[in-house]
Amino acid sequence: MSTVTFSVGAGARFGPRTGSVTLQRHASPTTLTIPTPGLMVATSRGVVPHLSRDQHKRTHPLRWVHVPFETFLENSPPTPTLQPGALPLHTFLGFSPDSHLVSLTLRDPADPRDVPANGNAYVTAMTARGVKKVTPDQWRTYVRACAPDVVVALPDVPYTPPPFSQKRTTKSIDRTAAWLANLLAPASEPLSILVHMAGGISVAARRAFAESLTETLHGKEADAVRPHTCLDHGVAGYIFDLVPLRRAMDASPDAVHAPAARADETAELFKASLTPVAPAKLRVVNSAASPHEILRLVRTVGVDVFDAKWAQDAAHVGVALDFVFPIQNSRTAGKQRDLGHNLYRAQYAHDLSRFADSNPGCPCGACAPVAPAAAISHSVLDAYAPPAAALLPPYTRAYLHHLLHTHEMTAHALLVMHNLAVVDAFFAGVRGVLHRGEDFGAEVDRFVGEYDEALAVVDEARAMWKDVDVARGKGRMARERIEADAPE
Amino acid sequence: MAQFELLARCHTTRARVSKLTLAHGVTMLPTFMPVATQAAIKGLTPQQVDALGVTLILNNTYHLGLRPGIKVLSEAGGAHKFQGWNKNLLTDSGGFQLVSLSKFTTITEEGALFESPFTGEPTMLTPEESISIQHAIGGDIIMQLDDVVASLTPDRKRVEEAMERSVRWLDRCIAHHTLSGRQDTQNLFAIVQGGLDFELRDRCLTQMVERKNSVAGFAIGGLSGGEEKDIFWQIVRQCTEKLPEDRPRYCMGIGFAEDLLVSVALGVDMADCVFPTRTARFGVALTHQGPLNLRLAKYAKDFQPIDATCPCPTCTEGTSRAMLHHVITRETAAAHGKLSVTLHNIAFQARIMGGARDAILNGTFPDYLRTFFANYFDAYPEWCVNALRSVGVDLVGEGSNVKVVPGSGAKWE
Repeated sequence: MSTVTFSVGAGARFGPRTGSVTLQRHASPTTLTIPTPGLMVATSRGVVPHLSRDQHKRTHPLRWVHVPFETFLENSPPTPTLQPGALPLHTFLGFSPDSHLVSLTLRDPADPRDVPANGNAYVTAMTARGVKKVTPDQWRTYVRACAPDVVVALPDVPYTPPPFSQKRTTKSIDRTAAWLANLLAPASEPLSILVHMAGGISVAARRAFAESLTETLHGKEADAVRPHTCLDHGVAGYIFDLVPLRRAMDASPDAVHAPAARADETAELFKASLTPVAPAKLRVVNSAASPHEILRLVRTVGVDVFDAKWAQDAAHVGVALDFVFPIQNSRTAGKQRDLGHNLYRAQYAHDLSRFADSNPGCPCGACAPVAPAAAISHSVLDAYAPPAAALLPPYTRAYLHHLLHTHEMTAHALLVMHNLAVVDAFFAGVRGVLHRGEDFGAEVDRFVGEYDEALAVVDEARAMWKDVDVARGKGRMARERIEADAPE
Repeated sequence: MAQFELLARCHTTRARVSKLTLAHGVTMLPTFMPVATQAAIKGLTPQQVDALGVTLILNNTYHLGLRPGIKVLSEAGGAHKFQGWNKNLLTDSGGFQLVSLSKFTTITEEGALFESPFTGEPTMLTPEESISIQHAIGGDIIMQLDDVVASLTPDRKRVEEAMERSVRWLDRCIAHHTLSGRQDTQNLFAIVQGGLDFELRDRCLTQMVERKNSVAGFAIGGLSGGEEKDIFWQIVRQCTEKLPEDRPRYCMGIGFAEDLLVSVALGVDMADCVFPTRTARFGVALTHQGPLNLRLAKYAKDFQPIDATCPCPTCTEGTSRAMLHHVITRETAAAHGKLSVTLHNIAFQARIMGGARDAILNGTFPDYLRTFFANYFDAYPEWCVNALRSVGVDLVGEGSNVKVVPGSGAKWE
């Protein structure tokens, strides 16, 4: 059906690296190439929040789409598994076979909520209709029925309250390896599999898990994953979820919180996982919280793909990102710069400039809107008249400020397109520095010094977003009634 | 002033096809105008609306006057530039929202006195002020300030007073608009009032038609307030009968497919309503077979698009009912579902009006009506049958076994 390959330049096992993910559909002459380090776009209920399907083709950073499956468990059998056609998941969700690589994972990697414990033979997932158990056999069935381009093998990651005993960690390692083997069962169509690197916050456990992947299998165990001789042979790459890792780190008695120290600890854990396995396979990280965290993981470990959830979340609360890597002009003095603009702020009410100063050439649908080349004709009399110039003026901060305060959904559609473009340009900047052989580490240090890593601007926007949502959003009438009825 | 050119008339009904040329392009009539209350069609970008084949949208003066405010709009160079919409735009006068949204509104001869929702200060909206605000917004069509009373107001004296005052306010709007020298780019419409009273409507029509040379078009106001549908269509019919042929006619606040088509048959050229976009956000998709409530469990495994023949992006990209059912009501992804159905519903409205234009042009409009009703309704609303019979189209005919139901007969799922 399709082949996903990853190629990375030769070099050290750890450290910044460039490469590319290539998707070749056997039925199509087009090849989709995703340069790395690069981004994948997070989805909720199978869609990119705030974007309608017709916006996909205008949203160029949308190449790799990561889809958590658990919401589909609300129906049995899950709806996408019933979708007719060759690429059911693409078809059902509206992603284009030629332009979009779709990866499938069971659980939403960004969901930090507690979930009842997994069992020996199942993972517990969350749906809008409560908790559902998924066995490795079911997962394989769903994956085969959906035909994603890349699939994450079922991991045993506990979402019960940490800390975890050594016994629990051992169980996690064993189950994750066994469930990977289940997905590797011989089949006519091989899967492109990412394995979740188990072991929690224990360096020893991580190393043990990774080593178990490389052990040569014999007898029945080997038959079960033929033609592979060890589990590591069967995987396309490795995936790391930062949300459960942070949960476990926070609960640890010797937790460190400073971003740089946290980054060092994370890098040590990742390296423990990656030391025993094949160095030239894809490395994917979910839920990096900032470009700072991304840069450190690129620099120290050599991670290839990151989700853009943090930037999508910023769009959701009204922040237009405005930063660039490598930085062009350092601030002269004073406090660090924000990574973007909280467009709820009163200062933007009359600001008719484009969203981002650092990205004047931003090609997104908000900064470089393009008039449609054609429009639907509803009668023989209708004649669409395109404007003289297809490229239209950028949307302004003042307009977005207005849309945000009036609770108009259009604001978030424009911001999602923009923020994804800024993150895409950021990764292009990272690759540029690496390709040109410049001092990547020094550029990272400059960036970290320049921009606020705490993303205070997003916290501020979230508070204002919440106020407007309460005042003007869903349930407003009911809230007003309660207020009106309340005794003085 | 606007160019208004009649292209064709239906041989049976009063429907007509016309071409309205305004400062931001041509709009073919009859047409439906989607509502962008706050300078955005809910969730869509202007480019998406443009691609749907929509050439005329509506902004609400009351809302834009409060936010972003006239100063920001003026700095941006008007509402077109502010929201990135380069086709035609109509603004209402703000009068309707004053009555429907604002507490403590008092109408005096001078204007409408209301409490500013921002400062709590008493604020006066006069006809002159309404026109000035609409000048700053820069809509291609602007509406007179009228004295709006609920269509079910029992007090005839109040309805009469409001009607007479609306005529006097029209004169003040005309005077103020004429002084501004903006008649070349902005076109003032009068609004016929008079409630559900034929005599008052007639007096209003007489006086307003006398001012025909100072206005670019006429709206029928004071309807869609919960009145009996059989009264609604008779008032519309009375108005279109007396309004001049060479001015566009705009029936305010209607959006159900049957209301639109009956009004077109009675001679209406334009209509607006939040219904198609609002109902989309509740998961209701409009089709020629009636509305589909996508929240219903029966759509959970339905892999068809909303309408396989629909040219909207949602349907042409193959978005299934099952997928829309999956996203429409769940908070995190709801926007996606709402946008998808909004795109579809706006296209649906444009499609039934575009179909009407073609049918009138081809001399097949009565058939178009019959086909629409046969597909859309299991039981025909009696008022539609009556209204269309009054213009020579018999929906049920001799020996027909179609069921006819009294009341509004609006179709829901």
